[in-house]
Amino acid sequence: MNAVDATEHYETSAHDPAPSLLTVIIDTNPHAWALLEQSDKNPLTFSTALANILVFLNAHLAFNYANEVAVVASHSHKAAWLYPSASQPTPTDPDGDVSMTADGSGNTNDGDSGSQVNKYRPFRIVEEQVTANLRQLMDSTGRDDVNNTSSTMMAGALTLALSHINRRTIAWAEAHGGGDTSSLTRSGDPDTSTTSMLARRSTTTTATNEGGAEGLQSRILIISVSSATGSAHQYIPLMNGIFACQRLRVPIDVCKLSGDAVFLQQASDATKGIYMSLSEPRGLLQYLMMAFLPDQRSRKHLVLPTRVDVDFRAACFCHRRVVDVGFVCSICLSIFCEPPENGDCLTCGTHLDLGAYGAKPALIARKKKKKKVRANGVSATPTPTPTPGP
Amino acid sequence: MAAAPSRPFDYLESLPGTVFFKLYQQPSTALAIFRRMLPDLAKCFVMALLYLKDPLPAADLEIWVRSESLKERDSALSILGRLHILSNTTTADNVRAYMVTNPFAASLRQALTGAEQTQSFGVLSRVSDEERVPIPDLDEYARRQWEGVLGYMVGTSGLGIQRDANLSKGVKQLLQAGHLVEVRDRRVEITQDGFAFVLQDVGTQVWHILILYVESAEAIGMDSVEVLSFIFLLSSLELGRTYEKKHLTSNQLRTLTDLADFGIVYQDSPEASHFYPTRLATTLTSDSSALSNPISGTLSGPSNGDTGQPGSGFIIIETNYRLYAYTSSPLQISLIALFTTLKYRFPNLITGKITRQSIRRAIEMGITADQIISYLATHAHPQMRKHNVSRSTSNQAGIPPSVLPPTVVDQIRLWQLERDRVKATAGFLFKDFVSLAEYEAPCRYADEIGVLIWKSDRKRMFFVTRHEQVAAFLRSRK
Repeated sequence: MNAVDATEHYETSAHDPAPSLLTVIIDTNPHAWALLEQSDKNPLTFSTALANILVFLNAHLAFNYANEVAVVASHSHKAAWLYPSASQPTPTDPDGDVSMTADGSGNTNDGDSGSQVNKYRPFRIVEEQVTANLRQLMDSTGRDDVNNTSSTMMAGALTLALSHINRRTIAWAEAHGGGDTSSLTRSGDPDTSTTSMLARRSTTTTATNEGGAEGLQSRILIISVSSATGSAHQYIPLMNGIFACQRLRVPIDVCKLSGDAVFLQQASDATKGIYMSLSEPRGLLQYLMMAFLPDQRSRKHLVLPTRVDVDFRAACFCHRRVVDVGFVCSICLSIFCEPPENGDCLTCGTHLDLGAYGAKPALIARKKKKKKVRANGVSATPTPTPTPGP
Repeated sequence: MAAAPSRPFDYLESLPGTVFFKLYQQPSTALAIFRRMLPDLAKCFVMALLYLKDPLPAADLEIWVRSESLKERDSALSILGRLHILSNTTTADNVRAYMVTNPFAASLRQALTGAEQTQSFGVLSRVSDEERVPIPDLDEYARRQWEGVLGYMVGTSGLGIQRDANLSKGVKQLLQAGHLVEVRDRRVEITQDGFAFVLQDVGTQVWHILILYVESAEAIGMDSVEVLSFIFLLSSLELGRTYEKKHLTSNQLRTLTDLADFGIVYQDSPEASHFYPTRLATTLTSDSSALSNPISGTLSGPSNGDTGQPGSGFIIIETNYRLYAYTSSPLQISLIALFTTLKYRFPNLITGKITRQSIRRAIEMGITADQIISYLATHAHPQMRKHNVSRSTSNQAGIPPSVLPPTVVDQIRLWQLERDRVKATAGFLFKDFVSLAEYEAPCRYADEIGVLIWKSDRKRMFFVTRHEQVAAFLRSRK
């Protein structure tokens, strides 16, 4: 009754929760899955896992009419879209004319559905496309592709996911007049140029006030099976992707089915996502439903599985080794596992005076920081340069 | 949480448990209720419990939620309880536990995995592309029918604009049965409820009508559960698709014909072998934001289509209470005239002013300030939204800004308060507590689940809107 003051009436216009966009990156590296399927204790086949993931996607779609999903496969030699099909409307720019109704974007093969299992249509579209594209991806994977590499293209997949999120966020903001489009494009710029190391230093000044009531809520879930060292050669693009997420306030959740991945731990830590290493991979669905399904809004109310002991090691720029003690260029902060040749930094070319390094009683290493990165001495390390949080 | 869907929610809540049992047999119903009726946290609970074999001990669920969010947790649990989705059980070692009740759990799982050969999500019909009715036509049909209904209520049909929407007798009877209109001397007069109705957003209106329909279904010999689950089925269909009719029961066919009169579904003729859901049906379980743009834009916007694209509002309000509405629809004009003093009328524009008098007049007719404000906010011109966005960037306080000028919003409410001095709330009084401690615990609990209206520590009394859970709480403490 006496509630006519400045606060009450703001709620009427903003009571509708904004939809959320969930981008799932599935690690489809055949090596890692083969290992997981053969493990004695907890075998989990890829098909079972995929079925679980599909149910999880449906559950996400069921949450809200306008919720969206996107699925990216991080394969052994490339990253590929599983849903929505990139090949469908126009591969490069399906931006303008995709229907805005969230689930309808690029309905493909809908003719042959009369006789099938009765199912809510958006669910079925997602399922059909994901399985079809995945099959296509597997068929296109030759023996050579598998032999050449045992790692997975996580950085590429992350970048694909990010650009999709960026595009959808802008499209949504335009359609609803809610979010501030200009600031989104501005902050969206750096992640399209993730190759530039500069992206991660210019991040201090952004103050996008999304994450509030309006705007599309996006998050990324990485379902990872590959081992840690595999992604070391993608250290730089991966970290750039992570910093872009941090800036856009897109949490990266990581569901680790086997092994432990250094950089993904850092990813979820930097973006305030959830990192879970499953002790019982066969219970994947329950893990997904319980820990990864709540969106950002619900997470405010829930106690989330967080990880305290994050592995903050970095990969060196010269040999892509994961190091915990290394050399850092004093100009560009590049990391090296051993002093570069001639003392010239490989990234910026500055000649670094190594001083008397290597002399047996190395008392002080001058003009060159020798640094330690330990699991607990975290925040002081400039090594992966966690951006001063926006 | 979401305030808008309260109407269907209230109705559903009043149904007995057996009705829920029957309703939840259908996967589409389970999905629709899950999606539309539950707050976020409740959805999380349901999903977390859905694939658990054993009931989850209550203590585990409680520590899952942060201690600051007790209120949200309790209200989520209470809604789940009221909708008979979550039930209290005990685990093997006699610990209090929660589980998802069975017909609901099974149906929702079926909806997610699509395991069974049911017709719960409609059966697509094969129609060649030439025969198929395109989406713009469906929208147009829905708009015409729905505006026809509203026009009939407000009385614009006399102006001869909405002639082509031929309202059937059933529609008129339904409106009368719902006390939205009254017929006096063969003249249709809108009631107070009717005024409130026409100012709501389209989603709420459709639900209102559907609930009325379900309520009256028994009277004409149909099973209300069957009708209700058919409505939920409709809500899960996809716009622009054709669906088979041959799997439907006779009651459902009858419902279909009636709903076609409202523009909720479209069929070429009552004998046609297939039907099309319109946007009114497919957005039933969406939030109003998802619906407002495509449909209420086309519904309420200028229907001649040359000014402004569909999906945009048309009302501008200035801080000096002047109102400009870019519309030529007689329905919208008569709606705006309910609470504004109109000044000028141009071919595509009317201007007016919101005054104390005009608001009081509206309130005397039974329209509330909230309805006026939400009507204005729903139909605000894109220019106002843009303005709102530019303000929101400068405003870092984190308050979601309103589309309308705050002065106007406040003033409308104040004008209403001038009349509202006493408010009655039906509910239950708890009194005669022996000790203060005995009084405090249930009182705090009632506050947490959001049913507490009034309390007096001195008299050890408190007043709640709903007593079942408080009573259960008291019992559990004994």
